[in-house]
Amino acid sequence: MRLAYWMYEGTAHHGVGRVMNSMRNVHAVFHAPQGDDYVTTIFTMLERTPSFPAMTTSVVSGTDLARGTIRLPETLRQVEEKLHPELIVIAASCSTILLQENLEVTAASAHLNADVLVYDANPYRMQENGAAEGLFSDLVRRYATPQPLTERPSVNIIGPTSLGFHVRHDLTSIRRMLNTLGVQVNVVAPWGASVDDLRRLPAAWLNIAPYRELGAAAADYLEEQFGTPALREAPIGVQPTLRWLNALVDTLNEIGARRNGPVIRMPPLTAFSLDGMSAPSAVPWFARTADMDSYSGKSAFIFGDATHTVGMTKFLHDELGMPIVGAGTYLLREAGWVREQLQGYVTDEQFLATDEFQVTAARIAELRPELICGTQMERHTARKHELNCMVIAPPTHIENHLLSYRPFLGFDGADVIADEVYTTCTLGMEKHLIDLFGDAGLEEQEAGVREQEAGVREQEVESREQEAGVRGQEAGVREPSVVASIPTSVPGAPIWSPEAEAMLKKIPFFVRGKARGNVEKYARERGIAVITADVLLTAKESIGA
Amino acid sequence: MPPKAQFIREDGLYHSFCGLVSVGWLYQKIKDSFFLILGTHTCAHLLQNTLGVMIFARPRFAVSLLEEADLSSAQPDISGQIAEIKREHNPSVIFLLSSCTPEVMKVEFEGLAHTLSTPELPVLFVPASGLDFTFAQSEDSVLQALLPFCPVAPPEDKRVVFLGSVNDAVAEDFAMEAARLGIPVAGFLPASHFSELPPIGPGTIIAPLQPFLPKVASQLRNDRDCTILSSLFPFGPDGCRAFWEDLAAEFGIKVDLAEREAAAWERITSHTELLRGKKVFFASDTLMELPLARFLRACGAEIVECSTPAINRRFHSRELERLEGVPLVEQANFDRQLRDIATYQPDLIISNMITTNPLVGKGLVAKWGTEFAFMPIHGWAGVNILATTFTKALRRHAILDPLGSDPVWTMGLMPSAPGDVIPLQEL
Repeated sequence: MRLAYWMYEGTAHHGVGRVMNSMRNVHAVFHAPQGDDYVTTIFTMLERTPSFPAMTTSVVSGTDLARGTIRLPETLRQVEEKLHPELIVIAASCSTILLQENLEVTAASAHLNADVLVYDANPYRMQENGAAEGLFSDLVRRYATPQPLTERPSVNIIGPTSLGFHVRHDLTSIRRMLNTLGVQVNVVAPWGASVDDLRRLPAAWLNIAPYRELGAAAADYLEEQFGTPALREAPIGVQPTLRWLNALVDTLNEIGARRNGPVIRMPPLTAFSLDGMSAPSAVPWFARTADMDSYSGKSAFIFGDATHTVGMTKFLHDELGMPIVGAGTYLLREAGWVREQLQGYVTDEQFLATDEFQVTAARIAELRPELICGTQMERHTARKHELNCMVIAPPTHIENHLLSYRPFLGFDGADVIADEVYTTCTLGMEKHLIDLFGDAGLEEQEAGVREQEAGVREQEVESREQEAGVRGQEAGVREPSVVASIPTSVPGAPIWSPEAEAMLKKIPFFVRGKARGNVEKYARERGIAVITADVLLTAKESIGA
Repeated sequence: MPPKAQFIREDGLYHSFCGLVSVGWLYQKIKDSFFLILGTHTCAHLLQNTLGVMIFARPRFAVSLLEEADLSSAQPDISGQIAEIKREHNPSVIFLLSSCTPEVMKVEFEGLAHTLSTPELPVLFVPASGLDFTFAQSEDSVLQALLPFCPVAPPEDKRVVFLGSVNDAVAEDFAMEAARLGIPVAGFLPASHFSELPPIGPGTIIAPLQPFLPKVASQLRNDRDCTILSSLFPFGPDGCRAFWEDLAAEFGIKVDLAEREAAAWERITSHTELLRGKKVFFASDTLMELPLARFLRACGAEIVECSTPAINRRFHSRELERLEGVPLVEQANFDRQLRDIATYQPDLIISNMITTNPLVGKGLVAKWGTEFAFMPIHGWAGVNILATTFTKALRRHAILDPLGSDPVWTMGLMPSAPGDVIPLQEL
């Protein structure tokens, strides 16, 4: 047992919901207490669904347990009568699984016309991604039917799922590229797929399965069973997208050659741009500009799921030239793969695999990177430490569910990511000026902006007040109990004298936190308990802070 | 005895949250508290998603996470986590909340809390599991747990204690209003700090501010022999007038607030004019539905249906009197409600976080009932906010309407909805 504040991954239950809410004319029925219905909110609120998600909680109450009532058959009948789904997936919850009921028998007693699958997701062994991947693979195994390949070259896009990170945009980006090549999409799954679409999966020449978290196992099965090759890389960044396109064309042409099918030719790269006559991505030129040279040297820390952590780390390093000071994932079952992918990008010491956000927060506090790519949790940690963060992976906040076209994959995605990196960090020239001349009045301006923002949302106010409180405590005399309560603070931090504190205030606020940390580290290493003005000056000289 | 109020109890196939969500406001209200949930990944995921992902810098709530290996032990050992909380947060009180899994495991919570409790740091058991508790109902459990820590007031101490969590500004309004009427105030349950719990005894008048606290009210009556004010809840001009007149009467003070009520109605005329004759359907789950529907009815709206997770004949008796003739449903079946909504075509639906967007997607005007739980709508000062919260959605949709009806504007947003897949050629 451990104390958990926040979780990176959702539950197995949520994973089942994500697959079912992606598909057409199917339904999930959760044999669970009322409270488990909260998962439905995540869809209706974050995805702002204009219709009811395809899931129903068949409520189990304390009274039901006492009386031995089981409502599941009645709920199943209600669902069938109202919605006539082709397939109903039944899942138990973390509490009802302990009842050791035979849900197969219970479901059979409802005498449904629909296909019924009791999905045995043990919530204590599986989390969101494992359950979603497992269920989707089971469905593919169940329905994929042997059949001839399509006449013309075609692909399946496997993996996009409801509440996946920017998946709707990624899907558009992939479709745009396929359209440019003249390659047909046979099936997209689970996003928007019906049971019949799953049956048709083996008709495609190739499977595109860009997400390590979902779709990879189904692509493996289709390759083993039907010999369909798969393109498993995520085209994040310009070079990976070019390699991905070439691999796609080569593989389809190999198959085409065996079938005397049409030859696909790579069109001029301008064909992939939005207007059909420009560079497909602005990143290669942008990265070489004086603007970005002045910007370069900023350190980045990347933490997220497997796909986005690997893709982002390589993109920042290879295409924007940023030094990587650390990277890692919360998906422990993918940690080996991520580590392997990032050989040459981060050392073993710089690699982090943990599902406890406090550990990631402590690493960030220690590194103080100039750019953090993370989840909503790292965004929060960054805010607490006044660092810059962009969100690259779930869990997300409603703020990450924006309206405009923001893919991460393909050429379009490269531009979106580069823009986000650029606007997230403090700009290059601006930073030089601040370093040289102080804060140029930005500190006051910042305070004003904060007040305005604070009015926006009550909870934000709450959080800011707490943050302000934490900052206040840090600036003042540190009580041991307070220090201990902030997971990211260093125990036994030296005390600042008032003169040293005043001198520190003259350091531009952008870099003040870093300077404070470096000077404290310097003092600790030399056993200095009180940082005086003299110590500060010596430390600045010694470490160039 | 007034005639027995009529309401229907259905099978409870509605959408809602479990009792754990009340942690979201209670931890902020009781500033030196810590809320520890003995639960699973599901509980942590619920809190994260309903209380907003990562908006709290240092939440004073956490989950003691039951993992697979912990399922076999009859009585889980959470002393290590209690020590961690003490070290990191130094609270004055820890509330230990139950959840579904340990309930199914038959964890003996009373005993567990008792063994962890010390005089310096009490650990109080709070039943909150989703098997038995929905939304705000667990505040009732928290207050019951606090009750033994309220000092016993002597019989001659005749003062009021306001019952139910309201924010500090609202609490101040109520204390000042009481002083104005000459009503002596002993305090609030809950208070902002564990050490500030009010004395309660046979002379105490308990004035309920929130409609979801019937159990603690009945326990107060049994354990402390105090008087529970039977009145309307202080929402809207009608509710406030009845509440304060009835409360004053308990102290032998006769006040007539007719003019004050009239003035309050006068101030919200622009809202009541809009609400008059409108068909309103309550399908929310905050347990505030009865007084809200009563206020809307007084505004001239037609309440097509008022459903709520739980109705208590005694605690809600005065509200039920005013709602006579309104179809009242406890633990509604949501599917039946959808059919009735289609039939009656209400002008406004008060629904919940789970159902609102899909209802709006059907071309209806719906709003989050949860907003009422998080807005300062109590008392005279809350009247305008209360009225505005109802009319805002109506006014906004009236402005937006011309665009709303064409399904083209929701195309492609939801993979499982029909008509989502945009064919390749059209891109």
